[in-house]
Amino acid sequence: MIRPCLISIALLATPVSADVTEAVEAHVLPGYATLVEATARLSETLESTCSGPEVTQAYHTAYDAWLGISHIQFGPIEARGLTLSFAFWPDPKNQTDKALRKLAAAEDPVVNDSDAYAAVSVAAQGFLALERLLYAPPVEGDYACQLTRAIAKRAALNAADLSADWNAGFVEELRSPNAQNASIRSDDEAKRALYTSLATALQFLYDQRLGRPLGSFEKPRPKRAEARRSERSQRNIELSLRALRDLSARLADAPTPRTDRAFDVAFSRLEGIDDPALAGVVDPGKRFKIEALRQDIRIIQQTVAAEIGAELGVGTGFNSLDGD
Amino acid sequence: MPSRRGFLAGLLASGLTPRLSWADAGHPTHLSAAMDPNGAYALYGLRADGARAFRIPLPGRGHAAAAHPTYPEAVAFARRPGRFALVLDCVSGAVRHRLDAPAGRHFYGHGAYAQDGTRLYTTENQIDTGQGRIGIWARDEGFERIGEIASGGIGPHEVLRLPGTDTLAVANGGIHTHPDTGREKLNLDTMRPNLTLMASDGSILDHVALNPALHQNSLRHIAARADGTVACAFQWQGDPFDAPPLLALYRPGQGLRLATPDEITRRAMNAYAGSVGFLATGEVAITSPRGGTLQVFDAQGQFITQYRQPDICGVAETPSGGLASDGTGRIYRLGRRSLTELASHRLAFDNHLIAI
Repeated sequence: MIRPCLISIALLATPVSADVTEAVEAHVLPGYATLVEATARLSETLESTCSGPEVTQAYHTAYDAWLGISHIQFGPIEARGLTLSFAFWPDPKNQTDKALRKLAAAEDPVVNDSDAYAAVSVAAQGFLALERLLYAPPVEGDYACQLTRAIAKRAALNAADLSADWNAGFVEELRSPNAQNASIRSDDEAKRALYTSLATALQFLYDQRLGRPLGSFEKPRPKRAEARRSERSQRNIELSLRALRDLSARLADAPTPRTDRAFDVAFSRLEGIDDPALAGVVDPGKRFKIEALRQDIRIIQQTVAAEIGAELGVGTGFNSLDGD
Repeated sequence: MPSRRGFLAGLLASGLTPRLSWADAGHPTHLSAAMDPNGAYALYGLRADGARAFRIPLPGRGHAAAAHPTYPEAVAFARRPGRFALVLDCVSGAVRHRLDAPAGRHFYGHGAYAQDGTRLYTTENQIDTGQGRIGIWARDEGFERIGEIASGGIGPHEVLRLPGTDTLAVANGGIHTHPDTGREKLNLDTMRPNLTLMASDGSILDHVALNPALHQNSLRHIAARADGTVACAFQWQGDPFDAPPLLALYRPGQGLRLATPDEITRRAMNAYAGSVGFLATGEVAITSPRGGTLQVFDAQGQFITQYRQPDICGVAETPSGGLASDGTGRIYRLGRRSLTELASHRLAFDNHLIAI
């Protein structure tokens, strides 16, 4: 699969930087491959049983796989309109709950048709919808079981589609950009797209995964922690950070000692936190560690911008930070 | 040999003033404030092909500008909360006048000329009460301030003149701020933004708002067509993941109609529309520098398509379609179904493109 692509790189008139190639081949493609495998296994497991330790284990493995690639929000996932289909979160209006109840109330037969299920509300798709059904089911019985199967099947099909798209066409597009190409027109843009993924995901960690449950000292919001029902809030942070460290290392042209150190600090901080659902945000003794972790992520953002972003000529968000 | 611009500037200085037009400023079609690579700020004139027509230094970061309808003159506004605006001669680059906000007022960063170019209208905050004001300045009297009218709400951000008329449209953002606390928002629980249409004497022609459930959708930027349609672009002050619609179309007598695309499309905007502009072909575009997104809707508010570009913000009409700009120095031609890079400058273009 990979070899013919390498040959075409050699034929290019304009050199493609090693870092884009490496980021795609060693980070993006394996990330999708893992997701394909894990979601397929989850779907198979659910076909034979609808609950039990095998199911939860397959759920966690598949959700873990998603965290390895969830920061890639451009390319096929955007073209296919699947950016929210794997994880609909944050969900301040409780749309997942409403969408699942609505399907169940109507006993909507859409659960029997994977193609049609692609068109139901994204709030009733992906890992957060599965989590509701597995850990705090708003609906029960046979239909709930059919729903979990439909969601897992759809996730597996979506993952396969994305992986196929990357391997078939988009990987070439990213590695051999040209001016005629609509979405990626230069090597610089390919790098910028990857860098934007990195920067956006770090901001998401800071604002959402940590910022939402932390709320303010006077008003912590533990129920706003991501995937708290399956106690994955801390795990999601850790896995996301791991994926982002990998991407940043591959994207950089030169050594990035400050960024590496900043990631190390965050990982050792995580080792000292044992708070799967981040319920500790309400406890001043535990909260300060979570706040410190958030500050560690702020430092990662700054070192990434200085050591990787500056070199790519990526602006600091002249307008996006102005806010007027 | 002196350049045409230099020659004209000389003529101007000698008092032999010919009737200058925008062509004498290098044929700009649009204006934008920008930051140079060395951190200096300036107002730029841009041509239809995205090339630079002129550069005039500014003492600080700009926001928007107002273009005189015929004479090559622009008013550059400082970033909110600004206390001054500069009237610039776009041929010589000279600062012709400096407008200082009266005591107890500050500017919001936008303004508009009257149809005949004799008056300038500016959006202002009456600081002690937070009430919005439209300042009126007389061009023929050296930009003397000759009066003011109520804006119809709190936090009037953009004012514009409906094409071919002297009717003013005011985007009252609804957010009360005080210069002592910078941009801190003082009334998020009670804010009630609106669009106010008024005659140039301040008499209210129409006054419309969104459903109260969307009262935290701050109306900041507007664009208008000759038929009286006003496109309204909002900035949501609630949870960004509420993902509310950020575009509404106003038609005289019909009020506001929200354009509500699907959830994914709404979320791509990060609850923030930075600019809005019509295309000559009738579509309307909104931008989100925070989402790195430009979205195009048809004249009825149906979503057509979107483009992803980091820090994209400025958008304005051209004779054939539209033009867009971003914080990395790029200028794009915007069509109904295309966004094509026209030019790339070593500049960071500020929030707005202003059509001349």
